[in-house]
Order: sequence, then C-alpha cells, then structure tokens
Amino acid sequence: MSAAATVPGIGRPRLPGPVWAWLLLTPAFVSLASVSFYPIVNGLYLSLTNTSLITQENEFSGFANYVQLWGDAQFWNAWWHTMWFTAASTILETVIGLGMALILCEAFKGRGLVRAAMLVPWAMPTVVTSKMFGWLFDGQNGIINYILLHAGLIDQNINWYGSPDTAMTTIIIADVWKTTPFMALLLLTGLQTVPNSLIEAARMDGAKGWITFWHIRLPLLMPTLLIAGLFRALDAFRVFDLVYVLTGGGPADSTETLSTLSYKVLFSTLQFGYGSAVSTAMFVTEGIIALVFVLYLMRQIRRAQ
Amino acid sequence: MLAQHREAASLKEEKMTDMKKGPVSGSKPVAHVTIADRRQFLIGSAGLLGAAALGIGTGLGVRRARAQSRAEISFASAAFFGKETFGDLIKVFNESQDRVLVKNIELPPPSSSTEVYQGLVQQLARRTGTPDVFSQDVIWIAGFAAAGWALPLDEYFPADKRSAYFTGTLNACTYGGKLTALPWFMDSGMFYYRKDVLEKHGGKVPDNWADMATIAAAAQKAGDVDFGYLWQGKQAEVLVCDAVEIITSNNGAILAPDGKSSQINQKAAVEAIQFLHDTIAKTKISPQDVLSWDEEPSRQPFTSGKAMFMRNWSYVYPIAQDAKASQVVDKVGVAPLPSFPGGKSAACLGGYQLGVNANSKQREAAIELLTWLSSTETQHRIALNFGLAPTRPALFQDEQIKKEQPFMASLEKVFTGATARPITPEYAKVTLALQSGISKALVSGNVQAEMDALSDQINKIVG
Repeated sequence: MSAAATVPGIGRPRLPGPVWAWLLLTPAFVSLASVSFYPIVNGLYLSLTNTSLITQENEFSGFANYVQLWGDAQFWNAWWHTMWFTAASTILETVIGLGMALILCEAFKGRGLVRAAMLVPWAMPTVVTSKMFGWLFDGQNGIINYILLHAGLIDQNINWYGSPDTAMTTIIIADVWKTTPFMALLLLTGLQTVPNSLIEAARMDGAKGWITFWHIRLPLLMPTLLIAGLFRALDAFRVFDLVYVLTGGGPADSTETLSTLSYKVLFSTLQFGYGSAVSTAMFVTEGIIALVFVLYLMRQIRRAQ
Repeated sequence: MLAQHREAASLKEEKMTDMKKGPVSGSKPVAHVTIADRRQFLIGSAGLLGAAALGIGTGLGVRRARAQSRAEISFASAAFFGKETFGDLIKVFNESQDRVLVKNIELPPPSSSTEVYQGLVQQLARRTGTPDVFSQDVIWIAGFAAAGWALPLDEYFPADKRSAYFTGTLNACTYGGKLTALPWFMDSGMFYYRKDVLEKHGGKVPDNWADMATIAAAAQKAGDVDFGYLWQGKQAEVLVCDAVEIITSNNGAILAPDGKSSQINQKAAVEAIQFLHDTIAKTKISPQDVLSWDEEPSRQPFTSGKAMFMRNWSYVYPIAQDAKASQVVDKVGVAPLPSFPGGKSAACLGGYQLGVNANSKQREAAIELLTWLSSTETQHRIALNFGLAPTRPALFQDEQIKKEQPFMASLEKVFTGATARPITPEYAKVTLALQSGISKALVSGNVQAEMDALSDQINKIVG
C-alpha cells in the first residue's frame, strides 16, 4: 500500500481516493467500535432487560428498570452524594490548584524540584492514598486527632469515618490532597501561554498584581480553567477507590456513591439489567455535566472573539 | 461474605513460610510438558524418528487407556492454603484410587470472595457440567440451589449419615427441605475475654448480655482497660454476622422460617439492635469507632491489651498467642457469645461447604469425590494442614487435633450454637439492605423506625 502511495504512476491503485481513506481508517474504527462503542451500546441494551445471573432471566423489559430507579431511594441517596463529592472536590481542587500554579509560575530557586515534588501525590496509586488517609484520620491512633486534641480544638477523639457527619468530608479531603497537583499542572501550562508582554504592558500602566491577575491572566486562563474543571468533574464523578477502601459506603449509606452502588448491584447481586440502568444514569448525568461546561466554554470563547 | 476471609487472609500470612516449603502447584507440570516435547522434537530431528514415534505412541496409548477407565471430573474452589494446597489434596485423591481422575480448577483466594462468586456463577450458569464439584461460601448455597445448579444430595446422604455433622451447618446446607450442599469446614463468631481482667471482676465469664455490659463498664471504670466490649459495626458483611448473633440470642430472627418475610422489626430483633446501639451511646462500653470497624481494626486494640471483651472469628486466637504481635499472650479465653434472658447463645456460621453441579455428566464420580472430601479422614487432614475447623463434632475429640490444634479442639461448644445467616436465594440483595438499614439504626438510634423501613425493604426483596 505504502509503495503504491509513495511512488506515483507505478502500479497506482485502481481504487478511488475515498475508498482508500475508508480502508485505512478501518483498523482504528474497528478497534474503537469493539472496545468503546459496542460496550456502551450493549450496556444501554442491558439496562432495558431484566438480565440477572442468579435468576437466569434475560428478557427485554422496556423501561421497567428506569421506573424502578426513579423510585429507588438508595439510588437518589448515592446520586446526591456523588454530586456533592464532585462539586466540592472540583471547586476546592480548582481554587487550590490555581494558587499553586500561580506560585509555580513565578521564578524562584529550586522551582524545577518543587514542580516535580508537587506531582508525587498525584502519581501515587489511589488505594495507597486511601490507606494513608485511613491511618491519618484513624479514630484512635490517627495523627489528625492527636494534633487537634493537643491544639485544644477538640476535646475528644473524633471517629472521622464512623460518623455520617464527617465521613464524606474526610473522603473529599483525601481526594483534594491527591488530585490538586493535577489541576495545578494543567493550570500551570495554561498560565504559561499567557503572553508576558501583556503582563509587562499592564505593569507599565501601573497595574498592581491583583489587577493583573483579575483582568489579564484570569480571562486568558478561562478556557484552560474550564477544560481542566470539566476533566476533573467527570473524573470525580466516578469516584470509587477512596470510598471502597475507606468506608465501603457506610456508615448509614452516608458515603455511598454511584460507582460503589453500581458495583454492588452489578457484581455482588449480579443484577446486570438493573446495574446497567444505574450505570446508564451515571453516563447521562456525566453527559449533562459535560454539556453545561461546554456551553459555558463556548460562550466564553465567543465573547472573547 | 468478607467475614470469613479476613481470617483466611491472616492465616495465609501466617502460613506463608510453610507454603514455600510445600510443593508448588500450577506452573511446574506445564514446564515439564514443554521440556518433554522439545526433547522429543530433538530426538526426532536427530533421525531417531521411529523410536520417538514409538515413544509418543505408547505414551498416548497409556494415557488414553487410563482416561477411558477413569471418569474425568473437575473440582473448583477458592484457593485456601496452609501446609499444602487444595491442588495437593486433589492429587492425594487421584492417587488414592483408580476410578476417578479430578482436575483442580483454582479460583481466587477467599479474600476476593466477590470474584470467587462471579467465577462460580459464570461457570454454573453455562450448565455444561463444569465444575462437577465445587466449594461455596455458606451464604451462596440457597442461591445456587434455587437456580437449580446444585444437585440435591438427600439420596446419597440419608439422615444417619448426616447426624455426624453440626446441626447448624446442616441447616445452612439445606434449601427448600433438600440437602443441596455437604458440610466441609467452618468458622463462627465467638466471645473473646481477658482472663486476667475478668479475675479482678468476679472471674465468671458472663453468659448474658446484661452481665457482660456490667462487667465491661466496671473494668473500664476501674481503668483496667480502655474499652469494655469490641464488635464490628462497619457497613459490611460482618455487621450482618454480628446482628444475626445478637438477634438470634434473643430468640429473634431476620427472616421468618420459610424465608419469605422479614421479622427484623419485631421486638426481639429491635431489642438486640438497641443493645448494640446502647454499647456506644448509653453504657459506653464500646467506642464510637466500632461503627467504622470490621474484623482487623477491632482485633488490634484487643491484642494490644486495651479491651476486655470482643466478638470476632477464630483467626484472632493464634495472633493473641503470638508474642510478636500481642501483649496478651496466655491472657485470652474464648467462650460462646452471651445471650439475652430466655435466649440461647448464637454464633454466626461461616466457612465453605461442598456442592455437586446438577448438570454434571459424571454424577457417581462427583459423589465419590464429594464423599471423600467431607470424610472424617480428609477433614482431619484439612484441620491439621490448613488449620480449617472440621464440621464433624467427633473430630474435636481427636487426639492428634487436640495436640496440634489445641485451640480448634476447644471450639466445639462455640460451633454447636452456629447459626446460618438468612437462608434465601436473594441473599446478596438482602445483605446489602441489612448492612445499610442496621448501620442507619446504629448511627441514628431510631432503631424501631429504621427496622420498620428495613423490614419493608426486605419484604419487597424476598416476598
């Protein structure tokens, strides 16, 4: 093929151009279709059946699963927890990450080292992070309780993972610790695309640091910020490892998220039909989140033009 | 589900060194085959084609002859190991007779019980007859029986043969009036206490919950221990085990005997759950931390000498007696769990039991393997080499077991009260509901209201 394409005139293929293009695209298309498109479609189809490995049923049941889902308190409980987790962790990570990026953008001694070191939490496997935070926030021997107790901020040990009031917050803290560096890295690359000339010009006009940031850097950073936020939100929405390792969804379902719920439905009770409906609901919610971000992003870009 | 394998996981760690000495299964035979093939190929190319062909021919001939005379079946089980593996056990069976040839299918270790479950379900659902014999966690038995995957064993094991097993284990192996699994090895919840501290507070092991709470509170107040009583309140399978024990010890039950309706909002069950809530909120003999603890987090304070009483599985004892990991060597005693007035001590049953695939094409051979695996001799071997407790009470009197596994031998009394978790084909759904509902009751303290809600939910699942 390549010989035919690179040596014109000699044995030129008889097939017309578009056919060649399609032919060459086929391998990519087939591999994508088999690992991405087919599972999604099959998942959608499963969500319309009552498939269960235990009862051995496997029949089309229309929207019965979705009707059940709509009235399922456990699902909505998990849905709200997931939304809360996504919103809280994305906002915190974006704000803190932006701060970190602004610092790392400045020139100072050892900047390379700090930039590399910053990425360590993100490079760690989440299960390791989970175990680590499990120990840090341990109710009996955790360092967090020790510090708070000795600083006089609390008068007795708090069982962070055993109380519905604190369990989710603790998981959010662990996630923020782990993923903020990722946001900082994305935002740092964004900041570096802001032309220095603009900032210098502003400085010559007498603009202070804050004004420069607010009127020059932030607007120019906005597209990056939105894309990074979108990535992060979609990723946070799928949170699984932290919850699975630290609380298993408890206490009293207070940390149950959609991923852990669908895992339980799919793989503990083997209800593939209903489990797929839960997964599809996740997919739809993520689609809506993405849509909101993209619409906002387009408005931003259009306004900039 | 997670309940028993903790114990298995820790057994594993403990037996790691033994394992290395033991025969390595799996990869070796494969290596042999490759080397042999290559050698045959070399011989052939060297011109000794005839001899090699003869060699291959006779080799195959022998193998075929053996295969023809022996029924070939397969055995699948979660991978336990101690001084030997289940693969070794199967090898012993294969060498012990010449009628049946068993292929061992190794599933993931019991610590990955969800994966073991999936693996088994996928194979059984195909209805191809593979595996012919399998081992199953007690909580899967009803589901496999209801799906028609497990062969009823009544005709092979009539009443007189069954009487050799613990009643509680037999109950767990029975679904819809039929014996669909054969007891193999077991574990159960038990009551750990500190002998030295108890000596200071009366010396008598409490046999009812109220006494237990009084002694625990007194020991805590006297400063002998930080915690009176430790149990497992994490929203996980072990919470269901703790609940089954305390509810049954008050003559209550989670499901009605027919398994078709919930009894968890009745007085006996509500009182029992209320007692657990009170250990944290009222009597304060348990730290609030138990709400996020499963087996290991609750074991650690106990073996470091900070607690008076604890409910846990049998795996804790060897750790408590290990001077490297424990500050309470020789200070720990084990007894049946306490009960409420008028109730009987109950222990949540765990362990793996045997089943025969209803679609097996070699039923007689499968029964032969099943009978051998559950026989007195094999259970004896498993007790000694794997440290897994037998389901035959008679074996607890065995001199060799008494000598080599003294702790196990002392458990007969505890195992006698072994109670199955709710027997229903919908167990997987019921347990998730129970974990969530009981956790809510323990956290909020609105026990009756939460149990009512839970009961509605369970009725919807099993009704």
